[in-house]
Amino acid sequence: MSNIANTASSQPKMKKHMGLKASRTVGNTLIYILLITISIIWLIPFVFIVLQSFRVESTHQVGYVVPQVWGFKNYADLFNSNFVKWYVNTFVTALFTCILQTLIVLCMSYTLSRFRFKMRKPLMKIMLILGLFPGMLSMIILYRVLKDLGLTQANAVPGLILVYVASSGMGYYVSKGFFDTIPKSLDEAARIDGATRAQVLYKIILPLSKPIVIYTLLTAFMGPWGDYVFAAYVSNNTSAGMNVAVGLYNWLSQDQINKKYTMFCAGGVLVAVPVTVLFMCLQRYYVEGVTGGAVKG
Amino acid sequence: MASVKLTNIKKIYDNNVTAVHDFNLEIKDKEFVVFVGPSGCGKSTTLRMIAGLEDISDGTLEIDGEVVNDLQPKDRDIAMVFQNYALYPHMTVYNNIAFSLRLKKVPEDEIFTRVNNAAQILGITEYLSRKPRALSGGQRQRVAIGRAMVRNAKVFLMDEPLSNLDAKLRNQMRAEIILLRQKLDTTFVYVTHDQTEAMTLGDRIVIMKDGYIEQVGTPQEVFDTPVNLFVAGFIGSPQMNFLKAKLVQEGNGYSVEILGAKIPLNADQVAVLSRKNAKSQDIILGVRPEHTTVLFDKAENAIECTIDVNEMMGSELHLHLSSANDDKIIVRLPTVDLTQEQRSSLSYGNKMYITFPAKVMHLFDPETERSLIDG
Repeated sequence: MSNIANTASSQPKMKKHMGLKASRTVGNTLIYILLITISIIWLIPFVFIVLQSFRVESTHQVGYVVPQVWGFKNYADLFNSNFVKWYVNTFVTALFTCILQTLIVLCMSYTLSRFRFKMRKPLMKIMLILGLFPGMLSMIILYRVLKDLGLTQANAVPGLILVYVASSGMGYYVSKGFFDTIPKSLDEAARIDGATRAQVLYKIILPLSKPIVIYTLLTAFMGPWGDYVFAAYVSNNTSAGMNVAVGLYNWLSQDQINKKYTMFCAGGVLVAVPVTVLFMCLQRYYVEGVTGGAVKG
Repeated sequence: MASVKLTNIKKIYDNNVTAVHDFNLEIKDKEFVVFVGPSGCGKSTTLRMIAGLEDISDGTLEIDGEVVNDLQPKDRDIAMVFQNYALYPHMTVYNNIAFSLRLKKVPEDEIFTRVNNAAQILGITEYLSRKPRALSGGQRQRVAIGRAMVRNAKVFLMDEPLSNLDAKLRNQMRAEIILLRQKLDTTFVYVTHDQTEAMTLGDRIVIMKDGYIEQVGTPQEVFDTPVNLFVAGFIGSPQMNFLKAKLVQEGNGYSVEILGAKIPLNADQVAVLSRKNAKSQDIILGVRPEHTTVLFDKAENAIECTIDVNEMMGSELHLHLSSANDDKIIVRLPTVDLTQEQRSSLSYGNKMYITFPAKVMHLFDPETERSLIDG
């Protein structure tokens, strides 16, 4: 008797369970369709530019996507053009900015996280408010200053590095937030163990903050790497001082686009390569949690 | 191995809160001093000032005769163990312990010997290649102690090192700290809020409250002769009973009257009181639970009480009683000599009688809260 009763009572439950499962499947399917559509839309320009960079039958814009004749001619031509100079310019700017900016940001963040001094809070507020203004506002005056220093046009690279690095202390927010989560007693233990403040930073805090150091490095590299507006302004139509974004954009002008369009696409692909490689190598640090076991937990 | 001397040490925070007032103490070489008090009493702040982690607002701190007020922690030659262990999570146990030696550029083979020695003493040799997160709480605390040990520092500071451990492990580690102290034979300053730790570990105990030192003395002294109500209540578990009573002067003698009982004071107590020219007055009478005798029948000078709660502790009972003028009293009653009949009479609402001899009585002024006899 009890068996029969059990089966009878479990029947509706099963049905309900199946209903739940079915509705979840439908929900997931809809979400996946939506996500796939979004990613296709998002990928179209990339696929388009990659395909166009291999088109060698003509150099102007055409009404189709898949090349009729494939080849590396566009890439080969890049190496015999100003592109190499622009690429080096961009790389040097990005590399120096990346290193200097990361150093400044991390020192700034550590200071604001660990030291208590009189103007600390006001300083943080001032920087936050200043950071809300668009950087473009300062462009004209910065250009005048750089021009007086002789750091425009052909000398744009050091000028750009100077400008990018100068304001980097204001980007302390994310890393300060991360440092704040590292227990202060670790600093104190290290200081008692005989470490100076600087040793505390690079022997204790930085190894524990790998994800944030890498985040800072990447963003510091990406900024100058993809900058157009300010780089265009400072180089001021002098090819020797241009970065890739400015140089490639020039190839799209009325008189050049028909000769350079496919080369422009090849250049675009090459610009994307280092950043993509960087991200692929470093993305695992984004998810690595490292503070476990530091204090009781 | 060094002496530590604190002279008029003060700590005033930026918001004008004074955490430590005028702290004076001389810690002798190889002495084990415990700072004890409720949270917020300034004991950790004082320790951190000795360590150099907090600025000293006023006064002088000397280690081995040298004023170290303005020295960085790393230059004071002290070792410290933190409550939350503060192990470097990205380093192995070996590297954690070796960290300070590497900073001092000690040769690698000497580091190896010293780390292994410390690990052996602490019983953590097999964990040397592990990261702190793979250790239990007790093991982590051992590593933290090991890190302090290898330094051979002048002064060993410990900031509530056992508070994060469970009760059983705490008892075990407490015994190990006593052993460690014998092995290291150096100056220890230990902070705790736990009076048992203070009593068992310290050569001398510094009892603090609200940034002031209430009393400094050996465990026996602070237990036997507390100078005020706070110390009397803080040291000892269960805490001292406080009863409303009267001091009565009769000719050359003194006695204490409480609820009809009249207990004459002994010669020593009388001598102190007559020297102080004490008059008859209301007092607070302090008697420790373990100094109280429980009677089942009425007797002369015994105080009648009602049983509120009877706690069975195993070898003894803790009886919570109320007297006729509503003072709450706790007494400890060993179970070994109790008859079955007596045990069954110890239930809620029944009457009991308690007595105590004059020599265990502590007399406090209700206004100043200071002891009339001790201190």
